[in-house]
Amino acid sequence: MMNPTIELDGLEVQLGNRTILDGLTGVLKSRAIGLLGPNGAGKSTLINTLLGFHSPSKGSARVLGLDSHTSGKALRSLVGYMPENDAFISKMSGVRFVRYMAEISGLPRNQAMERAHEAFVYVGLGEARYRPVGTYSLGMKQLAKFAQAIAHGPKVLILDEPTNGMDPPARKRLIELIREIREASDICLLLSSHLLRDVEETCDEVLILRNGQIASISNLVEERRANRKFLELETIGAEATFTSTLEGLGCECAVFANGRIKVVMPESVEIREVFKVAADRGVQIRRMNHRRDSLEDIFLSAMEQTGAPDGRL
Amino acid sequence: MAVYKRRYNPYRGSLTPEWPRFFVLTRYAFADLFKSRFFVLLLVLSLVPSLLFAVYIFIANNKTVQLLMQLRSADLFSVESQYFTIIMIVQTQIAFLLNCWVGPVLIAGDLTNGALPLFLSRPFSRADYVLGKLAVLGLLLSAVTWVPCLLLFSLEAGLAKGGWIWSHLWMLVPIVLCSAIWILMLSLISLAVSAWVKLRIVATGVIFISFFIPAGLGEMYNSIMGSYWGRLLNFSYMFRLILAKGFREGPGFLGSLGWNEIPVAAAWGVLIFVCLLSLVILNARLRAREVVRG
Repeated sequence: MMNPTIELDGLEVQLGNRTILDGLTGVLKSRAIGLLGPNGAGKSTLINTLLGFHSPSKGSARVLGLDSHTSGKALRSLVGYMPENDAFISKMSGVRFVRYMAEISGLPRNQAMERAHEAFVYVGLGEARYRPVGTYSLGMKQLAKFAQAIAHGPKVLILDEPTNGMDPPARKRLIELIREIREASDICLLLSSHLLRDVEETCDEVLILRNGQIASISNLVEERRANRKFLELETIGAEATFTSTLEGLGCECAVFANGRIKVVMPESVEIREVFKVAADRGVQIRRMNHRRDSLEDIFLSAMEQTGAPDGRL
Repeated sequence: MAVYKRRYNPYRGSLTPEWPRFFVLTRYAFADLFKSRFFVLLLVLSLVPSLLFAVYIFIANNKTVQLLMQLRSADLFSVESQYFTIIMIVQTQIAFLLNCWVGPVLIAGDLTNGALPLFLSRPFSRADYVLGKLAVLGLLLSAVTWVPCLLLFSLEAGLAKGGWIWSHLWMLVPIVLCSAIWILMLSLISLAVSAWVKLRIVATGVIFISFFIPAGLGEMYNSIMGSYWGRLLNFSYMFRLILAKGFREGPGFLGSLGWNEIPVAAAWGVLIFVCLLSLVILNARLRAREVVRG
């Protein structure tokens, strides 16, 4: 049986006299895990603990069954890590920097060289690979950090705020790369980000932290499956026949004052069918808002309420 | 992830053994060092004295050359333990200068832009990291201290007659041991400084200061208290003391500082203490993540 990607068992981490992570307990089984939380929630501390940079004061954390404290070296041999802050050697050329890191991970010289070139071309920095990393723009530095994290072919990819400082096209490209890597290999992904969209687009499961505690563990795949589509309508001339026809299609309707109607639609019903019913009944739709429960809803809900003991919503 | 395919493929090749991976750091550091012409010049110059010592050994053992140069054997300084002590002093001072140039950039370059977490997020410990950097200075300083000294010893052993090698074999121990403690101390001090000071010029200054200020303070203490224990803060003097004792030399050897009652064990103790202190400083500084106490 395959080990869960991350297991937290009463994990407590104290830095100085402050408790940063306070009794985290939970099991994350998906291959792509998002780490969310407001500033100071403990996301980076959790990543640093998983990498063995911080020792737990209580409890334990395991990644693919390896304890971060007692099997740190074995665990780190599986990891590719892209830190949040600047992390490069400014005078080295990009490709030499990645090759250097790959060699430290254990790749023989020639393979490291080959993989460094491949990683650089793969992330889209092929033209800039012989330039010193110190001369790169912020977005290019992010890509160089990403290249060093994947060059040695890790089994677990830990990305801490990977899209920081990137313009929208570069961000989109990086997110595509992350998804592609996820799909092309059996790599496990842990992505920490402030941007809910980054997590939503790349992850299957999300761990939300708040004040060093688990606010929620949510399986996005199941949430997506379970979530229903909502239509918020502002209408003129809507009568009971309009809503009853929609109900006949399988929708649930709630009618409010001033012609406002909220419609919960089953997966089988398309929006154009609503338009068709409205046209048939002579109802004017003046405004329509179509939405699903998004990660934002899950996140905001987690921020508002205290979760169950294991954090599951 | 082949370049032409632009597709990610996991790595399935072999891996190098874990224990020698610290040499990757050493190899890259040497590659960077040898890009600098100034460093190459400095290295070549630091080997010149050894060449001159070798020429002297050749002349001292060659009657024909002595006749051609109109030298008498009595005029020549005999190649004995004192000669090797002088070689050691000259070469260790050169090692000090070389260390002041090379040492300050070894760690600072990695710390300036936060590269340390990248090293430590791999199966690579802080000890491996320090060992890799230490090996740079260890190999470099060895190349200008005990290695040329042993080569000169071999040259003399080859040229001298009458079983010189057997009667002087004991000198191998002080040559290697004294060089080892000096190299270790210099390397650890400069790595510790490199971990704290980012600018090379400032770091070089700090290394100089770490030798001369304590020595000055020690002499002040001696003058005020009428003691000689202040000399314990003079690391160069402590090294010379160890060297003189190791080569069975007399008090005249310590020059203007003179001989005193400081036992050689105390001198060893001081140098080892400096090494340990440097390790403590390195340990405090080389962290994947800084922890703000409070």
